Amino acid sequence: MAPEKLVIALPKGRILDECMPLVRAVGIEPEPAFDDPKSRALRFSTNHPHIDIVRVRSFDVATFVAFGAAHLGVAGNDVLMEFGYSEIYAPLDLNIGHCRLAVAEPVEMEGEDDPARWSHVRVATKYPEVTRRHFARRGVQAECIKLNGAMELAPALGLCRRIVDLVSTGSTLKANGLVEIEHIVDITSRLVVNRTALKTRPEELGGWIDSFREAVNAR
Amino acid sequence: MTDTDTKALLPAGLRDLLPPAAAFEASVVDRLVSHFAGFGFERVKPPLIEFEENLLAGTGAATAMQTFRVMDPMSQRMLGLRADITIQVARIATTRLKNAPRPLRLSYAGQILRVRGSQLHPERQFSQCGIELIGVDSPAADAEVVVTVASALAALGITGLSVDLNLPTLVPAVCDALHLTAEQRAEARTALDQKDAAAVAALGGPASDILGALLKACGSADTALDALRALDLPPVAAAERDRLAQVLDRVRADLPDVGLTVDAVENRGFEYHTGVAFSLFAKGAPGELGRGGRYLAGQEAGSTQEPAVGVTLFVDKVLDVAPQPEARPRLFVPAGTPLADRIRLRDEGWTVVAGLEPVEDALAEARRLDCDHAMVEGAPRAVG
Repeated sequence: MAPEKLVIALPKGRILDECMPLVRAVGIEPEPAFDDPKSRALRFSTNHPHIDIVRVRSFDVATFVAFGAAHLGVAGNDVLMEFGYSEIYAPLDLNIGHCRLAVAEPVEMEGEDDPARWSHVRVATKYPEVTRRHFARRGVQAECIKLNGAMELAPALGLCRRIVDLVSTGSTLKANGLVEIEHIVDITSRLVVNRTALKTRPEELGGWIDSFREAVNAR
Repeated sequence: MTDTDTKALLPAGLRDLLPPAAAFEASVVDRLVSHFAGFGFERVKPPLIEFEENLLAGTGAATAMQTFRVMDPMSQRMLGLRADITIQVARIATTRLKNAPRPLRLSYAGQILRVRGSQLHPERQFSQCGIELIGVDSPAADAEVVVTVASALAALGITGLSVDLNLPTLVPAVCDALHLTAEQRAEARTALDQKDAAAVAALGGPASDILGALLKACGSADTALDALRALDLPPVAAAERDRLAQVLDRVRADLPDVGLTVDAVENRGFEYHTGVAFSLFAKGAPGELGRGGRYLAGQEAGSTQEPAVGVTLFVDKVLDVAPQPEARPRLFVPAGTPLADRIRLRDEGWTVVAGLEPVEDALAEARRLDCDHAMVEGAPRAVG
């Protein structure tokens, strides 16, 4: 009997370049079209006939894995915290994609207002759930404006005064006249696995998790 | 949008089941309940709605956020629409059936309603079916429930079944032994729920060592159990682990073909369990087919509570993987066919669809009514 299909979901963009060396280190080599920037394909075969790789947006990795459409994936804990899916396990920190989720505001506002007196803030963010929870813990109601990118523009154009976004070096914030005022959480990329897949194929999935762990430790 | 379109709209999470899905669901529930009955689990039928305080007392507290409420104009008291049937069966066992001999074996099937769906489980009304074994606290009782429900699923033709055995009491016992604060416990719980090894490591101190080791002790039953045995667990936790091993041996002896895994840190959905708990999975199913475990039946803590173990199947998830039985062939018979003839044909295995008015072309009428055969000149003839 041919082995059951195994689908791995990887995030497009910056994290992909960081996680591919790990994927290759565990012995999974995608077809050449994977590295061809002109290819429009979304699903790629690998050197293992039963393993396919799909390339999707980072938020969608979590959704594909939660629904069991993909069995393994790579997702940041920012995405995992935003969705809180019960069907995802994140057994391994891949130690890549380091950044942090932070609150930022225009430089000229800094020191002007007292955060302790806030009852309500309006924030532009890609992470409305995490943002709402973060402010709720301090008794502040957050009205979130969901944006899918270029959060840094929002304060300058008067959409809102504060943003919650990923920060790695801080240069994007600086270039847009913003300053980080609150650190929410540190972010790294995790190896994620679908709960049912791990329970029904424990040896196979457990084996891949162990291989990835060795690859991470070997770096 | 036309008027008919808007009339068809249902509230989020609710849906109409049409032929043949509705009949399929009914037949699956029927086969499950008959399987349970065949092994001594007698059916009870609690009401759809009852006094809120009874529904939400004791173990029912976990469903408080998911329960619809209405006010009863008769008694002027609040009523809850059940979000779970186990609580009701436990109430029956510890009140009306308190004098029935133990162990008491009960089964149930019915509809439940939840306040909220989620992206993963948008349904708000669904069918549940299950068994409860009340009055005995032993590995034999735990194993009987696991074996009965897994064999019922196998009898439906579901393949690739696996049972994940859990110990929701293990982590609290370890936390007690380590004297963790409430805040540290909550952090540990969140990290363990997501199997987030990085967050467990970040807890620091002896907690991260032992909880990290528990996290690694998840997977195939034998390897996981060996890993658990290698750990230096506090006495309460070690007793729980040994109990799990006994249940595992019994289940394996009865069900050699069912996959067995152990996950000592799983807790989600097991908040009120007091011993061995389990989830049922099948290859190809997007989520778990059911879950169950040991709990205390009865509303007040103390003498009125009884040890119990039970399982609930999520029928919609079971339907996703259960093979559809072959449909009976549909036969169109002309108007005026006597009932005795129609009964005979039905007993021969046909689904008999009778015409109400005489028709010119019985074959054409059969085709229009989705029948594959029509009675022509006293004999069934296939519709071309």
